[in-house]
Amino acid sequence: MRHVIVIGGGVAGLQCATQLARTGVRVTLLEKEPRAGGKLLGWNSLFPSITPAAEVIGPLVEEAERSANIDLRTGCEVRSVGTGEVTLADGERIACDATVIATGFTIFDATVKEEYGYGLYDNVVTSVDLERMFGEGSVLLRDGSAPRRIAILHCVGSRDEKVCQRHCSKVCCVTGVKQAIELKRLYPSAEIYNFYMDLRMFGPGYEEMYREAQQQYNINFVRGRISEVSPTFEGRLQIKAEDTLTGRPLKMGVDMLVLMVGMKANAMNAVLAAEVEGLQMQPSGFMQPRDPFTGNVCSRSEGIFYAGAVTAPKNVCESLGEGMAAANSVVRWLDEQATRQNRTEEAR
Amino acid sequence: MVFYADFCLPFIAGAAVMFAAVVIKYTVWLVQLPAADKRLILKGLPTRRTLDAVVETVRESLLHRRIFRVNPVLGYMHMSLAFGWFLLIVTGWIETMAYVGLHWVPLQGHVFFKYFMPANGIADHKPWFDFVMDLLLLFVLSGVALAWFKRMRSRALGMRRTTRHIIFDRVALTSLWFVFPARLAAESITCALWGGGSFLTAGTGSLLSGVFGRAALEAAYQPVWWFYSCALGVFFAAMPFSRYMHIFTEVPLIFLRAYRVRPESAAKSYDNFEIQACSRCGICIDPCQLQSSLGIDEVQSVYFLRDRRYRMLQHKVADNCLMCGRCEQVCPVGINLNTLRLNARSSSRDRCDESRYAYLSGIDRSSGEGRTGYFAGCMTRLTPRTMESMARIFDAAGEQVWWADREGGVCCGRPLKLSGEVEAARRMVESNSELFRRHGITTLVTSCPICLREFRETYRLDGVEILHHSEYILRLIRAGRLHLRRDAGALYTYHDPCELGRGCGIYDEPRAVIESVGRLVEPAHTRENALCCGSSLANTVIDDPCQLTIARDVARELEATAAGSVVTACPQCKKALSRGTTCQVADLSEIVAASL
Repeated sequence: MRHVIVIGGGVAGLQCATQLARTGVRVTLLEKEPRAGGKLLGWNSLFPSITPAAEVIGPLVEEAERSANIDLRTGCEVRSVGTGEVTLADGERIACDATVIATGFTIFDATVKEEYGYGLYDNVVTSVDLERMFGEGSVLLRDGSAPRRIAILHCVGSRDEKVCQRHCSKVCCVTGVKQAIELKRLYPSAEIYNFYMDLRMFGPGYEEMYREAQQQYNINFVRGRISEVSPTFEGRLQIKAEDTLTGRPLKMGVDMLVLMVGMKANAMNAVLAAEVEGLQMQPSGFMQPRDPFTGNVCSRSEGIFYAGAVTAPKNVCESLGEGMAAANSVVRWLDEQATRQNRTEEAR
Repeated sequence: MVFYADFCLPFIAGAAVMFAAVVIKYTVWLVQLPAADKRLILKGLPTRRTLDAVVETVRESLLHRRIFRVNPVLGYMHMSLAFGWFLLIVTGWIETMAYVGLHWVPLQGHVFFKYFMPANGIADHKPWFDFVMDLLLLFVLSGVALAWFKRMRSRALGMRRTTRHIIFDRVALTSLWFVFPARLAAESITCALWGGGSFLTAGTGSLLSGVFGRAALEAAYQPVWWFYSCALGVFFAAMPFSRYMHIFTEVPLIFLRAYRVRPESAAKSYDNFEIQACSRCGICIDPCQLQSSLGIDEVQSVYFLRDRRYRMLQHKVADNCLMCGRCEQVCPVGINLNTLRLNARSSSRDRCDESRYAYLSGIDRSSGEGRTGYFAGCMTRLTPRTMESMARIFDAAGEQVWWADREGGVCCGRPLKLSGEVEAARRMVESNSELFRRHGITTLVTSCPICLREFRETYRLDGVEILHHSEYILRLIRAGRLHLRRDAGALYTYHDPCELGRGCGIYDEPRAVIESVGRLVEPAHTRENALCCGSSLANTVIDDPCQLTIARDVARELEATAAGSVVTACPQCKKALSRGTTCQVADLSEIVAASL
């Protein structure tokens, strides 16, 4: 029986592993966290339909756990990837016929943008924190009161040369719109401001959601980045920004500031590119697929495939699609290998 | 005795061009000096400073003491050429006088003395002079040999890179290379034909006549003197227009400096003395991090001065400098490289748009009351942890503080000044000075070395003591106003900010503060030799990825100390280093506040 190792038990890795298992391939699914599910585990709901994330990730995890063909190993960190072999952090080596790297991304550390005061001032939170709060069912200020005015700042750790993150993280624009709507649903009388550079509503239903946010929910959108944040004597936050549409500087007191943190490439990508023949890294730090059109789930190393955000920021739909595509490419490649081997044997 | 032969013509012509050019240059520069500088010179002339300048001239222009300190082999090379040649001239002069008495002898008579008075032609031959002159010639030749070797293998003399030269330099350099070997050949042949000479010239002479025969030497006799004269003539004629102008220019520069004449933020004719005193030795290239980290090798001080001198300076060269001062630190001539770069920028950009600064009038967003003022500066406002920590420190010490810009304020002006907008910067300086005066503070504390340097160098704040927070915190500790827990297990390394260290000379205070909360380990480059974080405001050319590359190189050195966290005392350095390392980077105030 053919054996494939899938590294990363997030949405892409799970989709790829279950699809491979369905076609009769034995899969070892390696997840470094104690539970499979990846970043979606900490996520409450998904844009644009505000579907609970559990509805997407739950069935996938369940299938992976149940499938006889999948050996799901959690709490299992990978040290290195080789040809036909993966070495774990504890030194164990697992042989395989092919490897799928579905290690995803790292969330940008907002403390690096010290001027926004994350970790320094109360009530500066990230989009990840807010999602967790939604999951817990309450979004409150540190003193337990309800926020009356909230600012959402886009592009924290995205399209920002100062922190060496030139790329667009793609999903934060629409996440900001989604979270603004959810906040408004929670606190209908609260004022909500989105500070953005551009709003990139690239997917189906996104533009509609953006329009709904303005027309139905009365959410404000200000084009301009926040330059700095400071605490006020009343315990609020004062933000300084420039409204680039009116060309005027702007100061505003808010109760809560939500930072739309971007996607950062994993530090491990550099190790992979350095150690594995054929694997390459893009200037953004994400892995370089063999071809952006027809080989986007393949690497330049035979038998090593990619799925999901390891190659670029992607939304859940795209990662699910790539999980499927990677499984398909792996099977086709294994078939080709088998045919080639048969021919060689016949020739002998 | 007639001291003239046709072959002397090239030498005479070259020397005439040289003296004329040098005299014209110096006259013009001195005449164009601002009146204030002229007064400084007149006042200084009859004082001890003149004497000091004479001593320094001997030390630096002849002996090259400072180059010795940077690199002994290079020092020897320069000394053998400069001091050796000087002694050859002086001894030659004495020799001439010893033979012909106190008669006027034209210049070429001294220079080509061996030709005019070979040993056989003199009744009372003095072999002692021949020996000394040979010894000195050997001394100079050893320097020439090193110079040849350096051109071919700069690394061997401890320089990774050597200067690339312009055409005048090449002409002068090539002729200089030939001057002394030509002199050796000419004198040796003369000795072989007419006697005299000592171990070197006589020895070489008899070797040559042994190999080629006397007839060949007789045929070569005139041409070789012509060649020597030509080499000298070409060198002298090219000299005022080449880097060798430094040989003379260093002397007036030393005197002008002794009289306290300095370059300023606006260009003036004095700058020419500094610019043309650059020997283009290239010692400034190696310490430049733009070179070592980024491979940029056409913007260093040596090239900047060269381009400015020949009026071919481009923005991309003038602006591509961190102004970290690492080159200034090693410059053997002590040229004020940063100031010269600054006033080159300002002369091309300094046009202030009045309407832009109308908002400055009467601006005051300060808060609190106290005789001690705190100025965060723009960069500290982007690293609010520092400001929070300072607030806790002021609290703990029971200090009443006037916060100049906690709610926002006006920039100190230095970033504008560094980019050449001196006039615009002056508006900021006036606005802030007025603000400080109005609130009657007696002490001004800032946590930003960029602001600190501007306050100390440009602001006129009489009666206000200006302190960096490292100095202020140390004072609080020594006065017993701050009680810190010292954790002997906590290991810190310290990154010297350029503006604080080389800029303001503050090295010990931050170290003493660190020692009072933990243990300090020094990185490989430290204090005066510390590296720049790479994100200097002075450089408006390199982009963020380049800054990051430098930051990573610096961070690697800091990480190599195995310290748990990197401490610095500048918000800009903190921002820069935290991008380049996974190690914790903290401002000095943060580790102090954490130990309260």
